[in-house]
Amino acid sequence: MKRNLMTRVAAFGLVTALTTTMLTGCRFGFASDPDDPNEVEEEIPIDTSVDTFEYDSTLDGTSITLLNSKAEIQVALEKMAAEFEDRSGVHVEVMPVTDGDSPYTKVVSMYNSGSAPTLSILDTTDVIALAEEKAEDLSDEAWIKEAEGYLTEVDDKVYSFPLCIEGRGLIYHKAVIEEALGEEFDPDTVETQKDFVELLDRLVAGGIEKPVSMAKEDWSLGAHHLQYIYETYDGTSEGAQEIIQSIKDGKIDLKSYDRLTEFLDMFDVLKKYNVAKGDPLGADYDEMAIDLVDGKTAIWFNGNWAWPNLEEAGAEAEDEYGFLPYFLNNDSKDFANQKIQGSPSKQIMLDGQLATDDQKAAAKEFLNWIVFSEIGQQMLVKTCSIIPPFQNNPYEPDDPLSCDIYEKVHEDKAFNASAIVPNDHWAVLGSAMQKYLAGRSDREELTESIQEYWDEQK
Amino acid sequence: MKQTTIGGNKRKAANFLAMAGLLIIFVAYMFPFIMVVINSLKQKRDIIKSPFSWLYTIKGLSFDNFVKAFTQMDFLNAFKNSLIVTVSATVLVTLLAAMLAYYIVRHNNGISKITFALMVASMIIPFQAIMIPLVSIYGGTLNVLNHRITLIFMHTGFSMAMSVFMFHGFIKGNVPIALEEAAYIDGCTHSQTFFKIVLPLLKPIISTMVILNSMAFWNDFLLPSLVLSDKKLLTLPLSTYSFYGTYSADYGTIMAGLLLCVVPILVLYVALQKQIIGGVVAGAVK
Amino acid sequence: MRSKNNGKDFCMFALPGMFCFFAVVIVPFVYGIYLTLTDWDGVAKVKNFIGFKNFAGVARDGQFWTSLLLTFKYVILVVVLVNVLAFAIAYLLTRGIRGQNFFRAGFFTPNLIGGIVLGYIWQFVFSRVFVSIGESTGWSLFEVSWLSDPAKAFAALVLVSVWQLSGYMILIYVAGFMGLSEDVMEAASIDGASGFIKLKNIIMPLMMSSVTICLFLTLSRAFMVYDVNLSLTAGAPYGTTEMAAMHVYEKAFTSRQFGVGQAEALILFIIVACISGIQVYLTKRQEVEA
Repeated sequence: MKRNLMTRVAAFGLVTALTTTMLTGCRFGFASDPDDPNEVEEEIPIDTSVDTFEYDSTLDGTSITLLNSKAEIQVALEKMAAEFEDRSGVHVEVMPVTDGDSPYTKVVSMYNSGSAPTLSILDTTDVIALAEEKAEDLSDEAWIKEAEGYLTEVDDKVYSFPLCIEGRGLIYHKAVIEEALGEEFDPDTVETQKDFVELLDRLVAGGIEKPVSMAKEDWSLGAHHLQYIYETYDGTSEGAQEIIQSIKDGKIDLKSYDRLTEFLDMFDVLKKYNVAKGDPLGADYDEMAIDLVDGKTAIWFNGNWAWPNLEEAGAEAEDEYGFLPYFLNNDSKDFANQKIQGSPSKQIMLDGQLATDDQKAAAKEFLNWIVFSEIGQQMLVKTCSIIPPFQNNPYEPDDPLSCDIYEKVHEDKAFNASAIVPNDHWAVLGSAMQKYLAGRSDREELTESIQEYWDEQK
Repeated sequence: MKQTTIGGNKRKAANFLAMAGLLIIFVAYMFPFIMVVINSLKQKRDIIKSPFSWLYTIKGLSFDNFVKAFTQMDFLNAFKNSLIVTVSATVLVTLLAAMLAYYIVRHNNGISKITFALMVASMIIPFQAIMIPLVSIYGGTLNVLNHRITLIFMHTGFSMAMSVFMFHGFIKGNVPIALEEAAYIDGCTHSQTFFKIVLPLLKPIISTMVILNSMAFWNDFLLPSLVLSDKKLLTLPLSTYSFYGTYSADYGTIMAGLLLCVVPILVLYVALQKQIIGGVVAGAVK
Repeated sequence: MRSKNNGKDFCMFALPGMFCFFAVVIVPFVYGIYLTLTDWDGVAKVKNFIGFKNFAGVARDGQFWTSLLLTFKYVILVVVLVNVLAFAIAYLLTRGIRGQNFFRAGFFTPNLIGGIVLGYIWQFVFSRVFVSIGESTGWSLFEVSWLSDPAKAFAALVLVSVWQLSGYMILIYVAGFMGLSEDVMEAASIDGASGFIKLKNIIMPLMMSSVTICLFLTLSRAFMVYDVNLSLTAGAPYGTTEMAAMHVYEKAFTSRQFGVGQAEALILFIIVACISGIQVYLTKRQEVEA
């Protein structure tokens, strides 16, 4: 609690101090709270004075649709679309994927209904599934050269626009760690799994009983944790594909695959220090954010998309949060212990089947506007809080998590490897991981589940 | 119901016990709703850390969630859409189902039998089994999605079976054929007989079906989400989509939004309560 | 009404309703059956006829049969509990106790909220409210979230379904009880029939028509449980609470085996149809004309 008082602005300190008296006192009132994140409309100003982008006036009046599967930027995208319409005359209707629908299901049902969106924001695996049948070839677009290294190719053609870079790892709350250690904390000094365990033990000694939070959700376990075994094969997307192919073909025995053993070692470490150890499958996502901000925990395995949750839990943009790598072993030279994972996650696909030529041209203009216009560049980073995969975008994200990823990407402290796995990978193997997390299966059973899953994919 | 005097004290004790039991079950029934009301006034942090308590909140209680839900949902517009769809579909299905059920009861021919059997069977078709074929026929082939009228038509079709089933039971048991025969002798046509003699007799079951169907239409999420994508046409449940994030949900706003959606139907329910209960009572007694 | 202009009657009374029903339910359903015989994946432009290959895929899908077994277990529990509870409450509510109209209305309220939202509320109750009660009282029953243990998560699913369905069934049973004539009940009491005998020999036979309806409705709804399954547990923990309908959906859309999913939906339909048919046949035989 003391830490909060020191580091927060006065208003928030007051509110937090009340938590200690929570059980004895009560506060009842309808006054709105100055600290409420819902209330402070965070409007980052966009400088619209300079706009050198050349709009194609013949497209004026064209109307296109954009299916958005990234719920947290729905409002931001609508703002962007409005700004674009003001300048180009092209109307972009932003449609959300509603809860309970997967983006893929939604797109497929929309194609079936003959009302496919002109542009759709999808996961990489969805784009690959749809590319040849439905998507427009974008290989000749101007933004291709700005996004080098972040493009997804299907048969040597680019069918999708990389929207953002997302990175994940172990989020640490610096102030909490320093409070517990009683000294400065330099994340660079933690270089191996051993160092990390040492750090955790010191945190425990410093009064943080269980310093780690880990989500129970299958997407976290099945995609974000487990996919390290493919991605760290050699730190490239090609490498990830290679190892997946080997597993599928049975060329490699998973039991003797180092990265799997190492991954499970690390997973066991996290499991041991898990704050929800008594009921790991009862862990609550929102509570984890609150715990990290309050200092009940110091480490949370998640990605830069968690910022809105932290902010909602009371974190401020000035607070120091950052990422530690997912330490796989004790070799400080191993890239997996030095770098965190950061790759393009959402892709925009352009419909090549039902859209008219004008719509295609307008959609292409919109994509170019995002990459090349001063306003589009700003809005992508500031309004949508996205880490852009485009080299020419000069703006930096301003929340600590995205900032950290951004810096690591630019300092070569991030590796860009996306493992392209079937769509049900996270769900099926996420269940197997849940079972392992809950202590109801052992390594052998988990390994068998992984092998079985890949055997079925042949 | 009159009390019999046999075993007076024993009866009283039994009644007391019954009452106590009922009260306990009743509170258990109401529990989730109480939780929704309490938490709709709280901030997310308090909801997560102390969901049960009302008094010990850090951030106090406020109507902020309601304000936020109201604006983000574009409540008035969504309300209008829901109202149009619900009212039209309810009127349509009630009328058509009553007529069809009446025909089936009074004409015991092959078509009647097959239709009725198909309807009863169709009540057990999982919606997932017809979802994709449905959109591919109505969207791909006919291209009529994204219109309110399509949604109204589909709502009508999907609730037809259950409605006919209920009307069928009621008409069979509660509408004496003698009345109709008398009407024919007086020179009434079939439609006159139906609208002037039979329909008024159906009042109890009509109010039941109105409330059941309108509740289903009002709350439905899956079908409207398949049919409508134009933002101006979204119904109330669809308009709360933005409260569910990819990774976490905005609990306070969800609960406030939920209450905003439920209140109109609750008002209708309370207003029609006597008829509804009477209607279900009458409808089920064959 | 056996008049000569039968055709006109048909057009006027039966046709509009039948048209809606056939156009929206039957046609897509039949088309769906056709799709199970093709290799269509939901995306491709061409559909190739592949016969019964998808059904062979169903046979290989072990998880489907597991979920079907679980569904049977669930259905039995839900059907029994819902009907016993609803029957008992309805019986109490027709004994003339004070405030019975209020109670009748109250018990109906779960029907006012749609399935998905309802599941979310209960998920919140199980994972947050109960755990917080457990923390402050130390009751071991609520110490860990019910949803993180396979057996308890299943129990939670049953509990919520019972809660949701019984409100509706109570109303139907209440109706049935109200339909019993006073004379029968009074005669039975005067004859000195004890509570249980009265229930077994007099009330039950007269209530069979209500029982038929209620059993049919609970059976079919329990078999098709989807909304609550998805929003309450989503199959968690580790896929142990995935019911058949949810599995079908996942198969078709998450695993993208559209034809197999569609074939599983068809099999589910046939099973439910057979069981409901048998049930209606059996209980109808018990009915007596009151």
